[in-house]
Amino acid sequence: MVKKRALSLKFKKNENLSSLPDYYGYYVVLLVFFPAIIIWFFLLIFKSNFQEMFVMSPVLFPDVATWSSGKFGLIMNKISNLSMIVNLSEIDLTVGDKSILKMASESEIIAAKNLANFDKIYGWSNLTLFIILPVLLGFLATKSISGKLNAQPIVEKIISYVIKGSSYIAIFITFGIFFSLVFEAINFFRYVNFMDFFFNTAWNPNRAFVINASEGFDQEALKEAFGFVPLLTGTLLIASVAMLVAVPLGLLTAIYLAEYASSKVRDIAKPIIEILAGIPTVVYGFFAALSLAPFIKDVGEGVGLPVSAESALAAGLAMGVMIIPFVSSLSDDVIKAVPQSLREGSYAIGATKSETIKKVILPAALAGIMGSFLLAISRAIGETMIVVMAASLRANLTFNPLEPATTITTQIVTSLIGDVEFDNPKTLVAFALGLTLFVMTLILNIAAITIVKKYREKYE
Amino acid sequence: MVDQNSNYALQTSEVYVHYGKKMAINNVALNFPKNEVTSLIGPSGCGKSTFLRCLNRMNDVIDICNVKGKFLLNGNVDIYSPDIQVETLREKVGMVFQKPNPFPKTIYDNVAYGPKIHGIASSQNELDEIVKDSLHRAGLYEEVKDRMDDIATGLSGGQQQRLCIARAIAIRPEIILMDEPCSALDPIATAKIEDLINELKENYTIIIVTHSMSQASRVSSKTAFFHLGNLVEYGETGKIFTKPDKEQTNDYITGRFG
Repeated sequence: MVKKRALSLKFKKNENLSSLPDYYGYYVVLLVFFPAIIIWFFLLIFKSNFQEMFVMSPVLFPDVATWSSGKFGLIMNKISNLSMIVNLSEIDLTVGDKSILKMASESEIIAAKNLANFDKIYGWSNLTLFIILPVLLGFLATKSISGKLNAQPIVEKIISYVIKGSSYIAIFITFGIFFSLVFEAINFFRYVNFMDFFFNTAWNPNRAFVINASEGFDQEALKEAFGFVPLLTGTLLIASVAMLVAVPLGLLTAIYLAEYASSKVRDIAKPIIEILAGIPTVVYGFFAALSLAPFIKDVGEGVGLPVSAESALAAGLAMGVMIIPFVSSLSDDVIKAVPQSLREGSYAIGATKSETIKKVILPAALAGIMGSFLLAISRAIGETMIVVMAASLRANLTFNPLEPATTITTQIVTSLIGDVEFDNPKTLVAFALGLTLFVMTLILNIAAITIVKKYREKYE
Repeated sequence: MVDQNSNYALQTSEVYVHYGKKMAINNVALNFPKNEVTSLIGPSGCGKSTFLRCLNRMNDVIDICNVKGKFLLNGNVDIYSPDIQVETLREKVGMVFQKPNPFPKTIYDNVAYGPKIHGIASSQNELDEIVKDSLHRAGLYEEVKDRMDDIATGLSGGQQQRLCIARAIAIRPEIILMDEPCSALDPIATAKIEDLINELKENYTIIIVTHSMSQASRVSSKTAFFHLGNLVEYGETGKIFTKPDKEQTNDYITGRFG
């Protein structure tokens, strides 16, 4: 519509448009919606602040400045509950022979009435904001369209701000998560010594419940409760088993798909393999716990090895199957991306297919293949459900895959199940573990990027 | 046409090539004399590259490509016979491609690749010697002798192509096939490669596909003109370019089509 108007300006009145006709349309649309959305967003964020300012005036509650935040919240809650009923008639408010309003003080009732009024005004102002402001702005914007108005840079600028804002949101959230982890982890290290956490070899978080009557937590028990080492070894053990499964299988699958399989086979096989990554991890979990673990136990006992019912091996094997597609799919893509001219060059010298793959194609695709391995490792380290179900929750300092083991992620889950108290190290340890995990995967990612960069410099 | 004349490095006759149902080469017979350079010229899509790729069975890689005909190496070895392993054939018939395609390895490893695969060198010293010698012959040694361990993809286009030639001659082939070896290079690099071809023909039989008629006249002693899958004319380069027998050839070399 606006475009038509702009075009009519151009053709009927012979004005020169300073922007492309479409941009006048964008200009009006942005002016209609954008300011309204921004104002609504700020109103939403600051709604409770406005409410408190409006309700908790020193006129009604003279001593409000001295209240603790707990008391403030409590009274605010009471008032906001009251505000929902305060304008009902006396009869509705009477339970038995008592009016509910009798339970509140005079000033609280006035505050509640104020709040109810505020909510009404707030609702109306929202409505006006959403009808009147856009209509008004739309009208003004349409009016303002003329050949002289250069809509293009304005629109481009607004769009660039929106795009910038979207990317900053992701960055802010990342930092938010990181800092919340850091602060809670600091809280945890108030209870537990840093060195004890990273270098003790025993993990019994339940000992943190031993409480000395006089001094709160028993310091001796705390010292021995949170030893991180067995979790680290457990994580590494299970992830190693998983990689031992996934790397050879995934890589060979990728080589088959990229170099040997006909395009028909590849088109069918690749999606089927990728389904492996889409199976819910819970399903892998009970597959590992109910089929794989007993099978391993039977086989192990058959050859005279002591195997526990829940073993790191079972969890690792299931996890390995799960991450095969991470290795195979990505490696297949990078192998496919190696230029055909390199293959021909190798064949022309009289190399066989397998020599060509081993000596030319795999080295050329190495960076991408390493990347796929590291992606698979981070997936394995971060995996929780399979371990919860198949590898036990008991920390066990061992490198024997036939014994039970537990991982960092699993312990995060257990520490947050049940009673969650944020003044108890048993809960807070989840944040310390989360932070450690975060740092571990961060290091892995940096390593991946460095490796890929190094090889890229070499090959390009 | 095929006789036991050992003056020919390679003799071909009754060659037909099909891509699926489309005919690419139609009954071509060509003999390549030893230690001479033969040019294959013709407009795009005339089948000259396809024909070249038949000579070391590179077309085997392409599923839909179907090659028929007689190919005799040194007058007695049928290169399409089931007894012949394609790898041994390619050891004797090397190839250089249109676009330089060095492996993403060091300069040394690029040249040593073939000798290692075919077990040509019996010791590390001998391998070093082969690499050095091949680079020498390819006219590249002086430029790269101090950086043999650098990655080959860092070389310039012309250097890369000479490296590919060094890589091809490192396995001591009898014949070198060149598929438009200069089409991706600048004039100076092209001149170097042409000089190199002139030196190499002392020891090797060279078959070169080229789009540049001046290049064909500069480097080759025999020229074959292809058109639409047919061999139109074959003869001494000088004759083809001055007084060809066929009118079609004359039209092409004077630039009236193609």
